[in-house]
Parts: sequence; C-alpha cells; structure tokens
Amino acid sequence: MKLVKFFAVIFAGLVLASCASGPTVSYGDATAVETTTTGFGSTDLQSIAATLVDDLISFPPIVQMTAQRRPVVFVDKIKNKTTEHIDTESITDSIQTKLLQSGKFRFVDMTAVKAVQEQMEFQMDSGMVDPNKAAAFGKQTGAEFMLYGNMSSIVKRNDDTKDVYYKFTLKLVNLESGIMEWASEKEIRKTGEKSFF
Amino acid sequence: MRKIILKAVLLAGVSMTMLGCAVNETATVVVKEDGSVTQVIESKSDTLAADLKIADVKTAFVGGLLKAQVEIKNGSGNTLNFQYKFKWLDKSGFEVAIDGRPWEPLTITSYETKAVQGIAPNPTVTSFKILVQD
Repeated sequence: MKLVKFFAVIFAGLVLASCASGPTVSYGDATAVETTTTGFGSTDLQSIAATLVDDLISFPPIVQMTAQRRPVVFVDKIKNKTTEHIDTESITDSIQTKLLQSGKFRFVDMTAVKAVQEQMEFQMDSGMVDPNKAAAFGKQTGAEFMLYGNMSSIVKRNDDTKDVYYKFTLKLVNLESGIMEWASEKEIRKTGEKSFF
Repeated sequence: MRKIILKAVLLAGVSMTMLGCAVNETATVVVKEDGSVTQVIESKSDTLAADLKIADVKTAFVGGLLKAQVEIKNGSGNTLNFQYKFKWLDKSGFEVAIDGRPWEPLTITSYETKAVQGIAPNPTVTSFKILVQD
C-alpha cells in the first residue's frame, strides 16, 4: 500500500518535471511576466517605468512645454516606504533613460557630480591639460525641474493567501517656483496563493 | 489498491493540465504611417485566435510621439488571462527600442472590451505592433 503511494508520488514528480529535465541554463525574455514570488520584481519595475513615462510625456501641459525646448531635470531619490528592500534608483534609472530617449527632456546626473568635479579639477589644476581645451568651471546648466517620488506597499496575509499592493508616486516640481507641474501614480496588486502541489 | 493507482493517475493528469508547457503565440496588428490601419492578425494559439478580437485601433500624435490605443474584445464566455506587448517601428520598418516595453498581464472578463494604450518611445516611430500571448 505504502509502496504504491510512494511510486504514485515519484510518477507525479516525473510528470511535473518533464518540461525541464536536468540542470540546464537558458536565456529568457527579459521583458517576460515574472511571477516567482509576490515580492517586487522585474515586471513591476518595467511596468512602473513604462506607465509613468507614457503619462508624463503625454500630459497636455508637458506636451506644450516640451514642444519647443527640452527642459533640464534632475532626479532625486525615490523614498522606499515598503517593507522590502527595493533598489529605487534602478526604477528612476529606467524612467530617466526612457524620458531621455523620448527626446523631450534632458538631465543633470547628480550621482556623477563627484567624478565630474574630480575630472574638472584634474583639467584645471594638474597642469597636464591645455587650458584652452579644459572644461571651464561654472558653466554647467542648472536643472529646471526635479523628479522625485514615493513607493509604498500594503501587505496582507492569511493562512493561504498573501496580497501585496504597491503604489508608486512620481512628481515633477519646478525648482524655481515650487509648483508641481505633474504627478502620477502606478498601482500594482499581486496575490499569491499557496499551491496544492 | 486500484483506487490508489487511479488517484495517482488522476493526480498526474491534473498536475500535467495545471503545469502544461507554456506555449507562446502572438497576434500582430500593424498601423501604417498614412493613418490607414492595416491589421495583420497572426495567431497560432487556438484560444486567443478564437476568443480575442481587435475591436478597434486608434492612433494619434501627442507632441510628436505616436500614441496608440487598441481595444481588445473577449468574444468568449470565459474570463481570459493573457499578456500583451507593444512593439514600435520606424518609417522603414525597423524596430525602435527593442525590449523597451514589458509584457503586461491583462484580464478580460467574458464579452468585455478593454482598451490598452501605449506611447512611442521616441518621435521616429510611425507604426506599431501589438503582440498577445497566453
């Protein structure tokens, strides 16, 4: 009796494993929907970036503003108020890249300020660079807008279900006037249920 | 004894049905530059080909960027779960920003029509494709 049960389990396991047998490594689609766990994943990151960028570049006042010029923006941190460790810089990097690619905005990179400063000091002070060809101090462009936001989550669970709700808010503020020109949110709901198998 | 074997076979059968081996099929719609919409639906997936229909396609230029809206109709009595993805093409048919957009999950209840929207990543885009996979 027990033996039969044992074989039944082995058989079921074999059938289950039939799709991927052996330790193989394969490349997958980086844009595929990923549902390994309810935790923050690549699909969430990509859909947040895609939705918010679409929203920003199609918002009528922004369309009007970017019709003739490409405003300079700097990206501040996204506050991670979720219970997870999330690399929010990765999200803002995606958003920044997409906005730059759209040809509507330009950015100043605050994460590279130190490296830029070191390079400029080398050019000005080391005596190794032709002064006529050295990048001059005090010529950089100041950002007109600041992009920043929040990320929060609500997690609820019972014995067999876990529900995760993420909310990502992004805002664009005019640095001089302090006016918020645009804000948008992306909500994501994920539910994980304990599988029978 | 017999019952247990039957149970085991049943269990194996159920697990096979639940797991399956994911088959990805795509449906493609191409919108031409001159505003005329050419829909080319390529689908090998039985469920999606039979049940999903492109009800309407709208395009407009927002600040020089192509904005696309595709209305997808579920013609069946079942709720359908699938994924869609936009692909952007320039004037010469080259794909722009390959893998720039993710597959996005979508659920449409029976006989419901849902609109999905996308905005081109840059002004060189003049047409697009929408891919659907189950």
